[in-house]
This record gives sequence, C-alpha cells and structure tokens, in this order.
Amino acid sequence: MAYTQPHPRLSVVSTSSQSSDHLSPTNSSTRFSLPSAQSLHAAAASIKAGSNRPNIYDRPLNKSRGAEVSGSAFAFLFSEIVQYTQKRVSGINDLERQLNTLGYRIGTRVLELMFWRTEGSSKAPKREIRLLSVLTLVHTQVWKAVFGKAADGLERSVENPDEYMIIDNDPPIERHISVPKDFSSLSCSSFTAGIVEAVLDGLSFPARVTAHNTANPQFPNRTTILIKLEKSVLEREELLK
Amino acid sequence: MSHHLFLLSPSDTPLYSLTHQSSKPVATITSPLASNLPTWSTSAFAGTLTALSGASSTTQHTSGGAVKVGGGQDRHVIQMIANASLDVIEDEMRKQNLMYFKSIDKFNEWTVSAFVTPSNMKFVLLHEGKNDDGIRLFFMEVWELYVKTAMNPFQTAHTAVRSSVFDTRVRNSARKYL
Repeated sequence: MAYTQPHPRLSVVSTSSQSSDHLSPTNSSTRFSLPSAQSLHAAAASIKAGSNRPNIYDRPLNKSRGAEVSGSAFAFLFSEIVQYTQKRVSGINDLERQLNTLGYRIGTRVLELMFWRTEGSSKAPKREIRLLSVLTLVHTQVWKAVFGKAADGLERSVENPDEYMIIDNDPPIERHISVPKDFSSLSCSSFTAGIVEAVLDGLSFPARVTAHNTANPQFPNRTTILIKLEKSVLEREELLK
Repeated sequence: MSHHLFLLSPSDTPLYSLTHQSSKPVATITSPLASNLPTWSTSAFAGTLTALSGASSTTQHTSGGAVKVGGGQDRHVIQMIANASLDVIEDEMRKQNLMYFKSIDKFNEWTVSAFVTPSNMKFVLLHEGKNDDGIRLFFMEVWELYVKTAMNPFQTAHTAVRSSVFDTRVRNSARKYL
C-alpha cells in the first residue's frame, strides 16, 4: 500500500530539528520577544512541581468543540511558522514541502478527532469509502473544522480525470501574507494542502496535494488546492461502481 | 475465557496489545477438530500443531484462574491468527463503510472482531464467545482513548503506545464490557 515504514514525511521534520547548534532560537540575540534561558528553566520547574495536573486521558474531547482561536493569534503563529521554516530550507519547493509536512501532522489529528466528534456516540459508526463523499467531506467538514467555513468550490479537472481541485476564495491563513515578487510561485496554503493530504491518506485515498495561487481581480488571494490521486484509488473506484 | 486485543498501525505494525481474562461465564464452543486430533503430537512442533488444530482441551486451568501455555492459548498462535485476519478485514473495509466489523473471521475456537478508525488504525480483538454489543462499547472506549493519545504531538501513527494511563484505562473498559 501507500504506507512505507518509516513514513518519509516524518523524517523530514525530525532531522531538521535535531541539528540544534545554530537553529536554537534562544541563541539568537536579536529576538527580543523570547524569554531568557533562565526564565524558561524556572517555568519548566514550576510545571514539574504541579505534576498533579490532569493528564490527557482525563480531558473530555468535546470540550473544545465549538472553541475558536483568535484570528490575530493564529496569523502571528503562522507568520512565525513560515519564518522559521524559511530559514531552514533551500528554495521555494523545499519551503512548500516543509509547510506541507507540518500540515500533514495536523491533518492526521483533525481527521481522527473530527470523526470521533460526529460518530463517537453513534451505534453504528461509519467511515467514508467512496471518492466523491470523501472529497465533499474535505470540502465542507474538514474546512469547517479547521477554518470555520466551507471551501468555495470543488472541481474536477477536465483534462486529467485523476485531478480534483478545492478552491478557496479567501483562505484565512493567507489573509495577512503578501508574497514577495521573486517568490511569486510560493503559496503558503501548502500548509492546507498538507492537511488535505493527511485526511485523504488516512481514509486510504493516497494523493499528492499541492497549493497554487489562482488570483483573479475579484479575489486576489484565491487559492486552488490541487489533488492528484494515485492510480490505485481510481482503479478501486471503478471496481466499486 | 480470554480476550486478546491488538492495535495495529496503518502499516500493520502492532502498537499495543492486551490479554484480558474475563470472569464472565460464556458457553464454550467445542471444536470438532480437537477430538479427531491424531496422537503424533510428539514432534518438536507439537505445541503449535496442537494449537492450530484447535485442541483447546490441552489448555490447563490452574486453581488461580491463570492459564498455562498450550492449546489455543499460545502467544505466537494468537498473534498469527490476528495477523491472518487482516486480509479479511482489509477486504471488508474497502467494501463497507462501517468501523465496527463484528465476528469478521473465525479460527477454531477464536472469533475475530475488528474496529477500523477513519485514519486506518485497526483494533483487532480475538474472543471466544458472542458478545457483539459489549465488544462494540469496548471498541468505542478504546477509540476515544486512542484519539486522545493521537492528539499528543509526540505520538505519530507509527509509534507504540506506552502510556501506563492508557493501559489502565483499556484494562478498565475490558473489565467492564468483556
């Protein structure tokens, strides 16, 4: 199947985080906003002292169901993610791949949690096994879970039957990003593409997912998430018909 | 009566396993093969052969309720049965959009029930009696625990679950439903 062991995506993040000498943020003195090493240690100590805090198995999964994250807090975090990633890559392709990898880690969790919240109390929990329902699930439910609104379009490529496109006219993660001219092909929605790829992978619809800017005068941030499905998926769909 | 639970990653690596001795009495199903077993069980592979042919009669229960190895209770035989059932599970999960596949496979005295999560984790349970609803409720609790585990940033779909809290919780559910 499409799963190799160890997963090639997982190795990307872990290798980059292991080389620590010049990468550690605490070493750069230009970052005024970072707490000093000393205060970090103090914080770690206070966490250890309060070790009777509830563990992850005591927390209800539905508590944060309708909770929303502040848009500015997220924009700030995502801006840091992009900056952090950009320092560690050698080109646009590499940067997009790294963002994709980070998104993938989120996608696997979004998928499992989203399904648990809808099916967790059902007597006969259901998965999705057909391509079209999976794509609409990504287009509406995943988008709602992650961005709080459904995506704006779901299209099938005319020339390639294995390509599908999810279109977002104004992706929230790009609202505060303006890409420099010499980076023109970069789309920070690669992060979203990673989420989509993880969801499809998890439901055993392996695909290569990429993000592209398809701006038009009305929507300057319009982004297309291109899904290129693996051959095995289409063959299986034929059999299920 | 014992139960064996395996959590398998999407690439079929076992991440967690549990053997549970149930105290609830259930009528045992006798395997017809067991009585017809020839007496050549003296070879080096006697244990495995006996187990595979379903001679559950060789299992000896001690007074404490613990089970001695032998018969259908051999660890490696259990693992083999669980692994063998994966073929059937993968066939069915392509065709049906269910998560809980009850009594999907049978091997001698063992019945195999499975639960497939959306992200393709497989929970495989070997059991002897029929207990569809209890097993469903058990699987739902294990799923909830697994989702909580998966939310941990240090956990990936391919790392073994070593948390002792997870273990305790699963054991509690097993005691409750199996």
